[in-house]
Amino acid sequence: MPHHAPPTMPGQPDPHRHDTLLYLDGVSVAFDGFQALNNLSMVVARTEMRAVIGPNGAGKTTMMDVITGKTRPDSGTLRFGETIDLTRHDEADIAGFGIGRKFQKPTVFESHTVEDNLALALKGRRGPFAALFHVTGDDERQRIDDLLSLIRLAHLRAAPAGGLSHGQKQWLEIGMLLAQDPQLLLIDEPAAGMTDAETAATAELLRDIARTHSVVVVEHDMAFVRALDVKVTVLHEGSVLAEGSLDHVSANRKVIDVYLGR
Amino acid sequence: MYPPPPTLPRAALNAGAAASAPPAPKSSRGPMIRACLLPPAQAIPALRALLLLALVLGASLAGSLARAEESADLRAAIAALAKGSFAETEKRIAALAALGDARAVPALEALAGGDLYRREADGAVFIARSAGGGYRLTEPLSLQDVGTAGRREVKKIRVNNRLRRTIRAALGALTLSASDPARRLAAAKAILKTRDGEAVEALDQALARETDPQVAAVMQAARAAAVLASDRSAEEKSAAIDLLAARGDREAMAIVASIATAGDAPLAAQAKAAVARMERSQALWDVARNIWYGLSLGSVLLLAAIGLAITFGVMGVINMAHGEMVMLGAYTAFMVQGLFGALAPGLIDYALVVALPAAFLVTGLVGIAIERGVIRFLHARPLETLLATWGVSLILQQGVRTLFGPTNREVGSPSFMSGAFELGQLTITYNRLWILVFSLTLFAALIAAMRKTRFGLTIRAVTQNRRMAASMGIRTPLVDALTFGLGSGIAGIAGVALSQIDNVSPNLGQSYIIDSFMVVVFGGVGNLWGTLLGAMSLGIANKFLEPFAGAVLAKILVLVFLILFIQKRPRGLFALKGRAVEA
Amino acid sequence: MTRRFFTHGMTRGSWVFLALLAAAGVLVPALNLGLPAGHPLHMPTYAVTLSGKYLTYALLALALDLVWGYCGILSLGHAAFFALGGYAMGMYLMRQIGPRGVYGDPLLPDFMVFLDWQELPWYWLGFDAFPVALAMALVVPGLLAFVFGWFAFRARVGGVYLSIITQAMTYALLLAFFRNDMGFGGNNGLTDFKEILGFDLQSDATRAGLFAASALALGLAFVLCVAITSSRLGKVLVAVRDAESRTRFLGYRVEHYKLFVWTVSAMMAGLAGALYVPQVGIINPGEFAPANSIEAVIWVAIGGRGTLVGPVLGAGLVNFAKSWFTAALPELWLFALGALFIAVTLFLPKGLVGSLPRLWANATSARSKAPPDARTKAPAAAE
Repeated sequence: MPHHAPPTMPGQPDPHRHDTLLYLDGVSVAFDGFQALNNLSMVVARTEMRAVIGPNGAGKTTMMDVITGKTRPDSGTLRFGETIDLTRHDEADIAGFGIGRKFQKPTVFESHTVEDNLALALKGRRGPFAALFHVTGDDERQRIDDLLSLIRLAHLRAAPAGGLSHGQKQWLEIGMLLAQDPQLLLIDEPAAGMTDAETAATAELLRDIARTHSVVVVEHDMAFVRALDVKVTVLHEGSVLAEGSLDHVSANRKVIDVYLGR
Repeated sequence: MYPPPPTLPRAALNAGAAASAPPAPKSSRGPMIRACLLPPAQAIPALRALLLLALVLGASLAGSLARAEESADLRAAIAALAKGSFAETEKRIAALAALGDARAVPALEALAGGDLYRREADGAVFIARSAGGGYRLTEPLSLQDVGTAGRREVKKIRVNNRLRRTIRAALGALTLSASDPARRLAAAKAILKTRDGEAVEALDQALARETDPQVAAVMQAARAAAVLASDRSAEEKSAAIDLLAARGDREAMAIVASIATAGDAPLAAQAKAAVARMERSQALWDVARNIWYGLSLGSVLLLAAIGLAITFGVMGVINMAHGEMVMLGAYTAFMVQGLFGALAPGLIDYALVVALPAAFLVTGLVGIAIERGVIRFLHARPLETLLATWGVSLILQQGVRTLFGPTNREVGSPSFMSGAFELGQLTITYNRLWILVFSLTLFAALIAAMRKTRFGLTIRAVTQNRRMAASMGIRTPLVDALTFGLGSGIAGIAGVALSQIDNVSPNLGQSYIIDSFMVVVFGGVGNLWGTLLGAMSLGIANKFLEPFAGAVLAKILVLVFLILFIQKRPRGLFALKGRAVEA
Repeated sequence: MTRRFFTHGMTRGSWVFLALLAAAGVLVPALNLGLPAGHPLHMPTYAVTLSGKYLTYALLALALDLVWGYCGILSLGHAAFFALGGYAMGMYLMRQIGPRGVYGDPLLPDFMVFLDWQELPWYWLGFDAFPVALAMALVVPGLLAFVFGWFAFRARVGGVYLSIITQAMTYALLLAFFRNDMGFGGNNGLTDFKEILGFDLQSDATRAGLFAASALALGLAFVLCVAITSSRLGKVLVAVRDAESRTRFLGYRVEHYKLFVWTVSAMMAGLAGALYVPQVGIINPGEFAPANSIEAVIWVAIGGRGTLVGPVLGAGLVNFAKSWFTAALPELWLFALGALFIAVTLFLPKGLVGSLPRLWANATSARSKAPPDARTKAPAAAE
């Protein structure tokens, strides 16, 4: 799904588009004097896939922390859909609204089986009493079976997740994300630690997901970003340095300076 | 489970309780060695009183040869006390007092205490104490031991309450002229308490002779109190009120307040105004006192927590045996003092100075052993570290209990740490002051070591980024062990200082462990300045709560506050925020 | 539905454990009451009481395992809940003494008469009724845990910080209960009990009955724990233990889960305390001592956290060893206990029961390549 949008100027998002899903405007976060995010603005449309790149310390992970409610921004606007102000909610709420997140380091529940990992992620009531009396239904089982075959772990469904390889954990985590059935997926370095074949398969899987979901992918691997073939946002020192197609931003003088050093 | 330890809350509160008792109970006692030589407990007060008298009168005895003929009069006057009715005795006491010779004091005190006896054979008078089946006799003037007497050979000289009052007054007048200023001071204070209207003249005479300004000030106050109790003129009384009001302490306030309710109209009004003034200044002094006690308690908390600020705060190791390091330090002080007592009793004042490095070495080595033997295997597993070090603490406690016994050991105070001085209306004991100074010095030294030395730099490098430090050639296991040794060693040094104000027992550490963790967490983990501020503010908060809530409840309130505080700010007062801490 | 809820998580091991417990609950009283004192199989009453005490410790260990083993919350303050339950029962037993106290006051316990109190404090009202006291033994620890947990978990206090403030909590309670004006007997606590539900506390039959009641309570609590841990909720708890923030990002409100299991655990500890007090005949502030809580942690650790059966065994083993040591070699007990703490954390992190599967696997297939063992990862490693 190529997305050759004309390059927009950073810092000027358009909040009035009806297909806007995620809207960040002027978001700033500081840790003890270190400005992790500096007046960051970005818009992600429905069913858009966006790649976010940037050198270490550019604020990529902090951006995800802010969107998912882990870190409160010092200032700025953060909206999801038309009405939801994300700054007023915590992680659990935000996950409930339909934002799923995959960590940089694959994080699965190591002592649970692959199947239980997916079962815990399945969309459903999240209260403790609902969980206490929960009985797994046929539709849930069906959904788990589908996901298992999608992430190619059906043969390991009863194995403890801690025993999976690095790449398998990445896939399981993506599967858990899908089980949540979110509107927006935030994916941090999905290709890290994967073989070339796995990387290609992952890119394909993500493109597939983006047909029906919005996806924001943070990645270092330029080959992978190229394989995704989507609009790219370059972060540097907590704000947007450039935005556009990968070719467009790679030609940008400032981007070259940042990546090659001044 | 454990048998309920009955001493636990008391020991736990020791830090607080000791701080609130202005004259430190331990400081008056001699070093442990001397204490061991003293006879059983019940004989100690009496013996000590005698010793004190001997000391007090030592100076006057030296000059007494020249006054040999006066002694004869005095001896006769004392011997006269043994004869006649109560009424006659009363006259004779007055006569004895009129001689104005302070050497009569022991005899009078013995008379009031029922310890003055007459020997039936020759009518001679002695101070006697029962010993074995009979009495041990002391000559009342020379205070020399003159042997024993059987039960029937001597007869007690009886007194009644009226006589006791007379004796007290006579003693007051006599001791006002004693050669020892402390003795005169005590006499003046006694009059201030009893407010004896008859004492004005005696005080006037004493004031005319007095050279010590501090004693003179108390005598002035005592005189004012005596004037108010006498039937002197209103002008004199008014001046007395002014004088007491200027003094402003609680005692003066009580005296003036009694005039405010019972005196004549104009005087009462003056007194009322004076009381109001005094109350205001008293309130200020109360605040000052609470701050001082609070700082004192804070310095104890700081001492207890400062080693933990390294092991827990900087290294992130949960060392539940931290309290035992403090305890080992205190026992090292005990051992060193024992050695000095045996080898060089003359230098015993320096035992503590030697104990400091000794304790640092002992506990530092124990700390390194714990780190190498247990903690390093539990890296990044804080809950397991907590349990394993708890096991270590049990072993250390029981080890010390087996070696030294379960009872309290006493570590004596060197002479420069005994005593107290007055600062306005504050009584500041030297040992508390020293401990405050010492804790701040230790803190400053630690800050300097962490900031300015290469070792400090290495520690900070390893705690901030272990892998990077290792790749730069720093031997991180060695740094871990040495850092832990440093924290433990500092805990040991703190133990030496705490041995001055707390009971040295195997449970010593247990009473500090929760407090120290609270201080470190409250101040902000990893922040040494936070530990200082945390200790001091918790100490002061505790002391300001105590007047309203009592010591135990104040402690509970502070704990509850801390529990709530940690929930509000889990990283403490001065937390570093950022991604690194969250991970 | 309800039956399924309670039984679907039961494994063969769980049934075996329940059967053994039931057998003990019947046999021990029978051997004590049914056989004459001289009979070789006769169980002396002190042994019955001692075993009953172990059962209440086992219940405390079970409660601790629920929070620590399954949710990673290391409580160093569970003795507080245990003691509060004990005090609730102690208050009932105190009021059962009635006019038989030393001072003979029909209403006021002896220590209140001694303190010259004129009337019963309001919080002692109702404790003459057994159901009220029993309910309070559950409600008071539960309420304290709920309030404490509400603040702590919402503020995301976790790991060692939580452990330290739970320790401070029990320490504050220790200091509070030492105060005479709290109205719980101060230093001496509550003692000199006479009877429970009209049965003489000194009689063999009552002691045997208390043992059976303890066994029953332990069995029921065990079934409840199995049901909780094998439900979806139990899986969320383990998820929280292993990767707390992952669980949050899946949309689970972690603090609610922690609060639920924390409160349930505190109530179980309270029940254990309530059963403990009539068997030992005294409750005093010493039960709040932080050392008690930590000692309970070692029962769980040595038995195997997260196994439910393990902590029960651990409590029994450690306390049996303690009884033996304190009688035979009293000076060595703390050395042994301290060494146990170190040895278990260093060499047996999964505890006895937790290590069994691997020992079994090693024994049966010594030559085959061991699969990567996901469970070796200790829960605390996730922090």
